[in-house]
Amino acid sequence: MRFKTNLKNIQLVGALSSLEKITWLRLDDEHVRFTVIPDTGSQVWALLPMEFIFDSVQLQSAEAQNTINLELPLVPLQRALKSALNATSANLRLTKKDGIPILSMTIQTSTVAQGNQGGGQGSYSRFSRGDNGPGHFAGGFGDGDDDDGVFNIEPLETHLHREREKIITQDIPVRVLHPDNVEMIMQPKVREPDVHIQLPPLLQLKAISDRFTKLAAASSRASNSATATAAASNPKLELSANMHGSLRLSLTTDTLDVTSQWDSLENPELDPSQLHCPLEEHPSTIFREAGPDKWASVRVDGKDWSKVLSVGRLEGRVIACFADEHALILYVYVPQHDDVQGDDCVVTYYVSSYSA
Amino acid sequence: MVLLRFTLSEEGVNALRDALACLNKFSDEVSLEAKRDKLVFTALNSSKSAYAAFSFITNRFFSKYQYEGVAQNREKFFCKLYNRALLSLFRARTGDSLHDPEKGGSVIERCDVAVEDEAGKKSRFIVKIACRNGMTTKYRLPFEVSPPVHAKFDKDEAIHSWTISSRTLRQLMDHFGPGIEYLDIHSEDDSTVNFTCFTEKVASGDEVLKKPLHTSIAVEKEEFDSFDVSEDKLHIVVSVKDFRAITQHAAFLGSEVSAQYSMPSRPMQIRYDGDGVKCEFLLMTVGERGAPGQRTKKTRAGARSAPRAQQLEAATSRATSNAPTPAPRPTPATRHDDYQWEPVRMNEDEDEEEGDARLEWDASDRPNPSAVKMSSVIANQTAQRRGPGPGPDNSVEPDQALSYLEPTQRLSQARQFGLFND
Repeated sequence: MRFKTNLKNIQLVGALSSLEKITWLRLDDEHVRFTVIPDTGSQVWALLPMEFIFDSVQLQSAEAQNTINLELPLVPLQRALKSALNATSANLRLTKKDGIPILSMTIQTSTVAQGNQGGGQGSYSRFSRGDNGPGHFAGGFGDGDDDDGVFNIEPLETHLHREREKIITQDIPVRVLHPDNVEMIMQPKVREPDVHIQLPPLLQLKAISDRFTKLAAASSRASNSATATAAASNPKLELSANMHGSLRLSLTTDTLDVTSQWDSLENPELDPSQLHCPLEEHPSTIFREAGPDKWASVRVDGKDWSKVLSVGRLEGRVIACFADEHALILYVYVPQHDDVQGDDCVVTYYVSSYSA
Repeated sequence: MVLLRFTLSEEGVNALRDALACLNKFSDEVSLEAKRDKLVFTALNSSKSAYAAFSFITNRFFSKYQYEGVAQNREKFFCKLYNRALLSLFRARTGDSLHDPEKGGSVIERCDVAVEDEAGKKSRFIVKIACRNGMTTKYRLPFEVSPPVHAKFDKDEAIHSWTISSRTLRQLMDHFGPGIEYLDIHSEDDSTVNFTCFTEKVASGDEVLKKPLHTSIAVEKEEFDSFDVSEDKLHIVVSVKDFRAITQHAAFLGSEVSAQYSMPSRPMQIRYDGDGVKCEFLLMTVGERGAPGQRTKKTRAGARSAPRAQQLEAATSRATSNAPTPAPRPTPATRHDDYQWEPVRMNEDEDEEEGDARLEWDASDRPNPSAVKMSSVIANQTAQRRGPGPGPDNSVEPDQALSYLEPTQRLSQARQFGLFND
């Protein structure tokens, strides 16, 4: 299968790998699905259209819809995808080497030889180091009808930009999963949320969350009791939101109480055709009518939350859905830059939450 | 009595720090050898499979350089220092300016070093660091007067050679993932050279997914500035960790890297030059002639080749002691702007400095190896610092490793093993 790799793919894999080192990859005729389920902490289901990652795919499997289930390590995958960035072509093949199944990536890249390649080709290294180096050349090209020696540059330029090809093979170890082993794993089902709200810029949210998490650790270290240190390793943050554009992050310990609040955030409209109940009866409508003091809250583990927020590197729009005292789900909408027509990809985070 | 005194400019400090950081990846200790015309820093790793030497040309590299010498030996002065201590003097400040431009004032502007050594007085390596913000700090480091061990390389024997831009080499190495042990370089046909990494760790069952990424890169020979290897398909295998330490440093200097070697289980020399500094490394290559390098554990019988096989064995034992390394470490090459997306680190305030230090070297590979090697010599100096840890040499072949190359042995004894010279 030919696949396209772009920064988004790498960032997605990077975001996933901060939660867990191994992913379950499910391929079928239409979709690629990454699923990450750590022993503890939040789980991720990322359903991507085939075109998000692959250019042309040949799938052949005995399963329905040509399904292939693989288990593969994220860190090597990320490294391999990085190698494929800016490649002329990249191919991915499921194969076996020494009896061990691997996902073999063949990458063709051509590097542009740079001027500072070394003294061995001193003929041009002298020029590239010159005081009026590249700028001078660029200017020279601009007024190309002059006869002030500009044309000397041409062979030099071709020499500088001579392309050399490299073929990189990256073999990622994989396990091929039997469908029986994976059909039991189901995407979690959660009741209709009470509040849905677009999160503020994730980098900001993450910076403040991380600060709170550290504060919690520091404050319980100060209070210095055996039970407190146990709690310190897993500080809990409380996240609340209402249907009037506010999000609140707070931390309460024995010794301190801090809260950050964002206002004027967007509570996106729901599409009535997608709902199982009339819009008027939807929980979020009830929360909206109850006014700005009606908050839906969940508690999250500070460290786990920090890993979840790592998804911010995808630069997608993030909608948080709160089921009061029950669950928090993040939908990350990743735009497909190279395909305006294409639907956004959705990465779903089921954030693990705790009762008070 | 001051027997050596030199001054470094800001650039000089940076260049020296880069060199020390590179040496630090080979050994905890760095040997210094001062002459009138050059100052040489060297390190030999604990398994004696890798040797690094940085030779600074005194009149080009230093702003000031004054060598007095000692009565006993006018020609040269030598000593050994604990590299981490030395390195930390330079790192403390410059590291900050990267992360926090406001602290740019604490960048080192100048550094004066004086070495004092006199009978009846304490020997001291005195470093005076002047920062741009006007603050001056003075450090005194203890050192031990002991001759450096230099590795020997037979140029005539090494008939194969290539040269390549350090930048290209660095780019190649960037494709390799974490957790790999060896790099195999061989020419495939007339036009391509292959760089392949592999590991000897065996994985089975659930461990299969913990196998490191297996990478192989086919490079056009044209990519090399010269490639002169007469023997086709000659597999030359070196430790990735050592090779990477070299390519990283070489890329800082941006110069051309040249390698010279003969055959598997004989050393490979890597050289490049910077401004006023010559860098030279010797890496013991792994494997057997003709074999594709994978059979590193096998030793050869026969009296003549015994020392060679032992040397090889030493290299292997060090590498295999890496085996229990847990799951791949996070890629050190994290993009800078990516950093902010990393999960929260709880004790960041306390061990930030440590964290920086850890990036620079492979913590998994240092069960205090040189503490073992040097323990008899500098016991009084290091006793309080660290005990003789379970060194890899010890655990694998205790008697051989210990009797084999104690620094206290005569050089004539060492010479017969082929690698060492004065």
